Amino acid sequence: MRTTALVALHVFRDSVRDKVLYSIVAFAVVLMGVSYLIGQLTAGEDLKIIKDLGLAAMSLMGLFIAVFIGIGLIAREIDRRSIYAVLAKPVRRHELLLGKYLGLVGTLFVNLSVMALAYYVVLAYIGTTLSPAALKAAPAPPTDPRLMLAVLMIALELSLVTAVALFWSTFSSSALLSAGFTVALYIAGQFGADLKNFEHVVESPAAGIVGRALYYVLPNFAAFDIKTEVVHALPLPAGYLAMTALYAIVYIAALLVASVMIFARRDFK
Amino acid sequence: MGIAAGVVAIAVLLTTVVGLQMDRERRFPQAEPAQQILYVNSPAVLTRLALSYDALVADLYWIRAIQYYGGTRLSEQGDKSYALLFPLLDLTTSLDPNFNIAYEFGAFFLSEKKPGGPGQSALAIKLLEKGLVARPDRWQYPYDIGFVHYRDGNYKVAAEWFLRAAKTSGARKEGERADMWLEPLAANTLATGGDTRSSRVMYEHLLTSEATWLREDAARRLKKLDAIDRIAELERLTREYERRFGDPPPTWEHLIQVGLLPGIPLDPEGHPYVLNPWWGDVTVSDDSPVWPLPTENPA
Amino acid sequence: MHAIRTEGLTKHYSVGFWRSRPYVALDKLTLEVARGEVFGFLGPNGAGKTTTLKLLMQLIFPTSGRAWILDRPAGDVAMRRRIGYLPENPTFYDNVSAEELLGYFASLFGYRGAERARRVAGLLDEVGLGAERRMQLRKYSKGMIQRVGLAQALINDPEVVFLDEPMSGLDPIGRRDVRDIILRLRDRGATVFFSSHILGDAEAMCSRVGIVAGGTLVASGALAEMVPFRIRGWDLVLAGVMADAAAALSARGAAATLIGDGRYHVVLPATASSEDAVALAKAANAELVSINPVRDTLEDFFLAHVQKSAGRTFD
Repeated sequence: MRTTALVALHVFRDSVRDKVLYSIVAFAVVLMGVSYLIGQLTAGEDLKIIKDLGLAAMSLMGLFIAVFIGIGLIAREIDRRSIYAVLAKPVRRHELLLGKYLGLVGTLFVNLSVMALAYYVVLAYIGTTLSPAALKAAPAPPTDPRLMLAVLMIALELSLVTAVALFWSTFSSSALLSAGFTVALYIAGQFGADLKNFEHVVESPAAGIVGRALYYVLPNFAAFDIKTEVVHALPLPAGYLAMTALYAIVYIAALLVASVMIFARRDFK
Repeated sequence: MGIAAGVVAIAVLLTTVVGLQMDRERRFPQAEPAQQILYVNSPAVLTRLALSYDALVADLYWIRAIQYYGGTRLSEQGDKSYALLFPLLDLTTSLDPNFNIAYEFGAFFLSEKKPGGPGQSALAIKLLEKGLVARPDRWQYPYDIGFVHYRDGNYKVAAEWFLRAAKTSGARKEGERADMWLEPLAANTLATGGDTRSSRVMYEHLLTSEATWLREDAARRLKKLDAIDRIAELERLTREYERRFGDPPPTWEHLIQVGLLPGIPLDPEGHPYVLNPWWGDVTVSDDSPVWPLPTENPA
Repeated sequence: MHAIRTEGLTKHYSVGFWRSRPYVALDKLTLEVARGEVFGFLGPNGAGKTTTLKLLMQLIFPTSGRAWILDRPAGDVAMRRRIGYLPENPTFYDNVSAEELLGYFASLFGYRGAERARRVAGLLDEVGLGAERRMQLRKYSKGMIQRVGLAQALINDPEVVFLDEPMSGLDPIGRRDVRDIILRLRDRGATVFFSSHILGDAEAMCSRVGIVAGGTLVASGALAEMVPFRIRGWDLVLAGVMADAAAALSARGAAATLIGDGRYHVVLPATASSEDAVALAKAANAELVSINPVRDTLEDFFLAHVQKSAGRTFD
């Protein structure tokens, strides 16, 4: 337990300072600023567009971060063989893996927080420029605290992506391949609804069943998307959020167990 | 951790995950608000966003269009306006102007009359005209426009479009020679308006469509046409019986006994036709899949 | 107890899709290293040295055979508290400093607070990185990284130290420093197991060596026993030799090579004595700059044994 925490802390320190992450986060912050400009172009709809853009930017940039650090997690470390020195220390392999995951999720959360902060700053500023009438007409206030729910869902979604990336990395020797698989799985997980309805669109019933099975087994990333509900102030049942959070946690647990099993038994070239 | 223990743990967790998802769907069915399907409304924007994956994105929208159509049609409550059907098909065909099946589908289902269908013939024609601009050589698009007009009862206009279709370069292509049946169709439509012969030609053409939906629908409608024709025949027989015996036949057996019928007449789905003993008219049975028959316009 | 012991340690890799024959990286390695020894594990590149070290560190798992360190099976976590390992061409983490890295490793051993800080500072000084301790590792040169590697291998005062090519990437000063550290370790009673393809290092430091080639241990034993230090000849350097005198040298039965500018390198047979050397110089009217005995070296021994197994092909 203590060893896992030590590993997590070290990993956090190492990755949070990573230059690439700085660039990504900076880019996201710039995007927030730009969204303000775009908002100016469409009279009346600024607030919605800025909220949409901000959340989309966080989601997309967060995805890059999750994949990037997820791969850096194990694949890069094995590639560069920096893992040799650590494994010769009194650290069990599973402690190393779990510590890495926790450290990287920590990094992810920190980066998302920075982006979220920039987001709220921009929104607060927009709030001051809107007329009282526009404010009243908007379904939700500019600095709507419920937006944080969307950010939280994004954070959970990306933790799951990181776990997927970690899983791929434990047995794939190529960092690039792992990244590719993770992104592919993410995209597939976004089209869950289409997978579910596969049987209505294809000829063979077997394909339909496969589609349905895939929908249930593959991680369903689309379910974490509550951007629309939050931006339009639509109702969000607490039960739905709780179940989705539980879904994420259980799936992550499954991936971590699988990763530990593979990691404990593999040779390092 | 032992392999066996690990595998069991993973199996348990994955089962939980699947169970959670199913449960969540049960409790919070996604009403799929319109916003989500059409997050991007404009074809111009979407075409740019799709980068070089237009065809793939077109496929996705096509799947959603069918899903949307099927879902709306089958659902008992909810919005039956099919409001999103045209936009979805519009997006599909903007991304991939050669997406023939999408045009045909749009033509057929958009123009389907209410309450079962959207009844949006104008939009169907708009979609097809877009296709015509993209592919002026294809005879299918002007033909489909004619088909829509035919359904609405504008036989003269329909005939003009059929003729126009016959004159496209695609119609005269070696091997296909669609003009061979398009021209007679045009002539027939002009002459007799909405009769079963023209309709039959058009539905038989639809039997060769790529889309299962369309083929099945065409087959269903052909069965209805068959039923209509058969009913006309049967009514001739009942009138003959009436002429001979003074009253319409009370049951089919009476017709069989006098040799006018070899056996109880069955509709294309195998259900016996229903004889109205008072007036001698024939209808299909209520619980036959062929019911209801189109009353005025056979299409 | 032995510091290190292996028994039939074997590692096969399957190469390629269709080949059924495996690549034998290490074939039934059986050796023992006693406590307090400095053991040189020598061999050409690809001989299986790094494979052996990785097997001992349980970075890879053996196909067959076993290994023990300090009488505990390789991979035992408690035993790892008492050993140190320097991988070949090590890399660490870009965005932390040497101080942070060593602090991290030290904490993994359970060191805390002042004790940890003391160890980290001490080791950084010992390997000569005191000044750059706060700089991020990203900016380190290869030689500096090597020093960091050595430091992290020693952070816990290990009883057994495993070094894979410890001299690689270091300039002569660095190599001398590493040699000194290794000898200091020996003096403290630690066991040092290091691999190298540079034989001069071994000669200077080892008490025992093992020579591996093509995945097999071809020879092992005490250095003194394996390489009889007989004198095979004498190496002379003469200066100020005139052109005509050079011819005379050859006539006297000495092999003479011009080094440049009147200096000649002359080899005399083992039977010659130092007096013969002086006499030769006088006869050539030249100055005797140096005289060195030519001994059998580890290199000769090595080459002889490796040639023998050079016939083996790798799959």
